[in-house]
Amino acid sequence: MDWPRKIVSALKANDICSISFIPDAVIDRILKVAEKDPYFHFTTLAREEEGIGIITGEYFAGRYGVLMMQSAGLGNCVNALASLAIPYQIPFIMLISQRGELGEFNACHVVLGKALRRILEALGIQHYTVNREDELETILNGAIKTAYTSDRPVAVILSTALVGWKDEK
Amino acid sequence: MINRLEATRYLVEQLSDEPIIASCGNPKFDLFTAAEKRKANFYMWNSMGMASSIGLGLAMACPGRKVIVLDGDGAILMNLNSLTTAASKAPPNLVHIIWDNAQYQITGGQPTHTAGEADIEAIARGAGFKQALTVNTFAAFKEALSQILSQSGPWILVARTDSSKALGRPPKNPVYIKNQFMEALRSA
Repeated sequence: MDWPRKIVSALKANDICSISFIPDAVIDRILKVAEKDPYFHFTTLAREEEGIGIITGEYFAGRYGVLMMQSAGLGNCVNALASLAIPYQIPFIMLISQRGELGEFNACHVVLGKALRRILEALGIQHYTVNREDELETILNGAIKTAYTSDRPVAVILSTALVGWKDEK
Repeated sequence: MINRLEATRYLVEQLSDEPIIASCGNPKFDLFTAAEKRKANFYMWNSMGMASSIGLGLAMACPGRKVIVLDGDGAILMNLNSLTTAASKAPPNLVHIIWDNAQYQITGGQPTHTAGEADIEAIARGAGFKQALTVNTFAAFKEALSQILSQSGPWILVARTDSSKALGRPPKNPVYIKNQFMEALRSA
């Protein structure tokens, strides 16, 4: 399983040096790889919505960022996406760790997990789901390019088919 | 009480081309009225609360330059968690000014919690800011600003203001606002 390294390599290859995040077990695996490279700047958020503002401010100064969060976190981001990132045309990638689908043990993650893609679609945000490691680089590189040519945020969703799920019953 | 437009005018006079992020609500009206030709102004038309986060991101990404955030009490109360993030990252060039008139002025003057027990300076200190001030008069504002602009931050300045209204209205096209602001940042 080499998906964390592939994600970090793709971010660096695309000049994305700033990582704003709320951690989970999946994101932690990405961070553990990225932390070994001084190229990256890290900002631990207290709430996911902050990341939209921080990435916007960084973008103004020419620094490119990625927002890493669980699917639940998208619910905390909706107004900042709708009234800042989209109308002001701020390009960035949201890397979303999927909850509420394959292998979910927690009913309180299921509703937003199921609504995730429809919320993105209602906002007009393109989204792509990675289910297999062999499609990861194509999807991530392609999503980043689309974000920058369209000046819009684009979501890449990491499925539990790729990253696994908790064995809790 | 401080007149917000007068204080905004004074602030801009002390600056050269430092970027200013102006929150939705009245801070952006004051800034445009005070300095409509100034290109390094970013006007927010919504995303209430995000000014502090935009300012933090900008301050981290351009460390050589002071970054000014003009916020309101209602807006920062909506994104208090951002104070903990900013204090944790602590960029020394961040200057976060909060105009506190203890009301949601733009929607008719309904009281915010700073009209009651909430104290933004105390909240900022609790979030981890080492340098936070509250001023009640224009003379104290000018004195605080002199210290803030000449010393390392990050700084929080809570300025208790009245609720007079500025008449200017910034451009309403978000992409125009962004492009003008980014061009000013690049050419500075």
